[in-house]
Amino acid sequence: MAFNLQEETISYGDFKVLSDFNLSIKKGEKVALLGKSGSGKSTLLKHLYDLQKENSTYIPQELGLVNNLSVFHNVYISKLDENSLFTNLRNLILPSKQYKTEILKVLKEVELEDKLQSTIINLSGGQKQRCAISRAIFDRKSILLADEPISALDEYLSDKILKLLTHKFETSICALHNVDLAIKNFDRVIGLKNGKVLVDKACVDLTDDDRQKLYYVCD
Amino acid sequence: MTTDKSCIMFVTKNLRVSFVIFIVGLISFLIADLSISTVDTTLLVQEFFFSITKLSFSNYSILFEAFLNTISIAIISIFISSIIGFFLALFFSNMLVRISLSFTRAIHELFWALIFLQIFGLNTLTAILAIIIPYSAILAKVYAEILEEHDTFPEVLRGKSKISYFIFTKIPDAFPHLVSYTLYRFECALRSTAILGFVGITTLGYYLSSSFMQGYYHEVWMILILFYIVVASVKWWFNKYTFIPLTIVSFFYLDDFSGFNWDNLVRFVTSDIVPHPIRNDLGLDKTITWFDNIFSNEIVPGVFNTIILTQLSLFLTAILALVLFPFVSDKFFTKPTRLTSHVFLVILRSTPEYILAYVFLQLFGPSMLPAALALMLHNGSIIGHLMGNESNLLTLREDITKKRNEKYFYEVLPRVYNQFLAFLFYRWEIIMRESAILGILGVATLGFFIDSAIADFRLDKMFLLLLVTAFLNIIVDLISKKAREYLRTNDSFSSCGCSLK
Repeated sequence: MAFNLQEETISYGDFKVLSDFNLSIKKGEKVALLGKSGSGKSTLLKHLYDLQKENSTYIPQELGLVNNLSVFHNVYISKLDENSLFTNLRNLILPSKQYKTEILKVLKEVELEDKLQSTIINLSGGQKQRCAISRAIFDRKSILLADEPISALDEYLSDKILKLLTHKFETSICALHNVDLAIKNFDRVIGLKNGKVLVDKACVDLTDDDRQKLYYVCD
Repeated sequence: MTTDKSCIMFVTKNLRVSFVIFIVGLISFLIADLSISTVDTTLLVQEFFFSITKLSFSNYSILFEAFLNTISIAIISIFISSIIGFFLALFFSNMLVRISLSFTRAIHELFWALIFLQIFGLNTLTAILAIIIPYSAILAKVYAEILEEHDTFPEVLRGKSKISYFIFTKIPDAFPHLVSYTLYRFECALRSTAILGFVGITTLGYYLSSSFMQGYYHEVWMILILFYIVVASVKWWFNKYTFIPLTIVSFFYLDDFSGFNWDNLVRFVTSDIVPHPIRNDLGLDKTITWFDNIFSNEIVPGVFNTIILTQLSLFLTAILALVLFPFVSDKFFTKPTRLTSHVFLVILRSTPEYILAYVFLQLFGPSMLPAALALMLHNGSIIGHLMGNESNLLTLREDITKKRNEKYFYEVLPRVYNQFLAFLFYRWEIIMRESAILGILGVATLGFFIDSAIADFRLDKMFLLLLVTAFLNIIVDLISKKAREYLRTNDSFSSCGCSLK
């Protein structure tokens, strides 16, 4: 079991975002969280991250990139805890060939290989998103928690990136807006509305009624 | 594959700029004379710092008077400066006004005091004029920026009555900012007034230096600590409600503003500062020799030393700020550490550089060391404080590294680095102005030659050297502006980072 929430209440400040919430996610599951902004997706993801800090990597909506550093450095950041201070400073000042090759491989998968040395400031919104995704992939944890990771990407890239995210991590949980992409790429969908679960089913079992409900929560 | 293109493409603009600052700073460090010449340095330092335990003062009524004098001169000066500054701000778009103001600004208030001492003698009038002239110029510039910044009313809707539209569209938005900047400037005026004492006016600096020379270190500490209390409590006793009453009280307290002498002023402008070969009609050859002598013996070494001291201090300031700011940042330390560091930084930045340099000079003897140390501590603590604030505003990701060093180099420093360089460039001009003035304490920067010219009563030479000093400052200001444009960090700081200007 990756996560098991029983009757949990999650508040944001004084405001109860999710109350008496039940959710269990098994290892290896690929789950899409659907819902409008304000439905509680981000709060839930952050809460899940708090429960499994060691095993998961988290892509927040605002991405958390360091604007003044290059794409290389921003991807390398996920390795800071593994390496010694010396190695880290060395790679800050003079990136090593080995890391450059490794990171380039990840960037190729998200079609960002030509931006290895660009500073984040000079990237477009979609490029920034793919940089944050590369950081998460390079982190090589077993659980992915991503908050709308493809909101700025076109259809082709969205599809490609979602495939990548569901393959690279044993368990992946992504908050999304697009119902069709969610059903196409994930095993299970959860529709949230005002902090309540409206739909929670494996994609193969979805009825037309369920689909209507999902479109409704994302409307 | 771009992997083998080496690391050249990783060099960003701000790294390039930092590299230049670093190299120039390093060269200055190698050239600068940083020797310690006092024989019993350790003993002296010990004695100085231990005397903090025996705070006392021989004559408290004198001490009280010195504080009242300093405060009321500062109040009157800022009051008059704000009026003149506002008036000048309205004409700031005029090129001539702008150039003459940047000249006035470029000359330090102590130099202005030295000039007016020659004309009006040692009195309150001299002190007030010495503050008013550079402060009006500074306020005019910042007021003009604030007025421009808070101008959201569309040009096309503006009617014929310019004044009415000015009052209705600009003033309401800009007024609170004008007031808060003026109040901030008062704190600086207090520091400036205090150091006017070093040239003989009876403000705090005068008593501080005389206590120091007599070796009464406990009195020095007494003055310093009281000064910190006055500066730290400014916002409680000097605000928009007390401004006008305090101005009136100060006016009556100072009482005597006489000393204005029209003849002296005319003589100074039309005769004293005119190069003496021209004044005495000695011909072109003599004039050239006069200039040549000053140029090779004073201007060249003076400018050289001023630049060396400035660049060394800028470099040291940068390092100190980078080391200090984590200590006041909530990204690195918990509240008790931050609070202690904060108090430490407040003390360092409320001590005028000139006083710090004076103290170090007494302890280490004359060289560039005291001046560089003073400039580093004062400016480093200001920038460190501002960077701490910047880093507190950052929101970092959830899953960032737990290691403190890595967090510093990868997450925090890159995010505040542009700001850091901008702060550094804003302080550059100020460091240069201070480097020149610290010459009065014996380092052979421009101030040293200006001070000796006055001592020899060669006011024509003094005037020439002052012009050179002002020029140097204006050049640095222009380079700094270009550098900020290059780095694209040219955000307006007039409303947030007041302490930069």
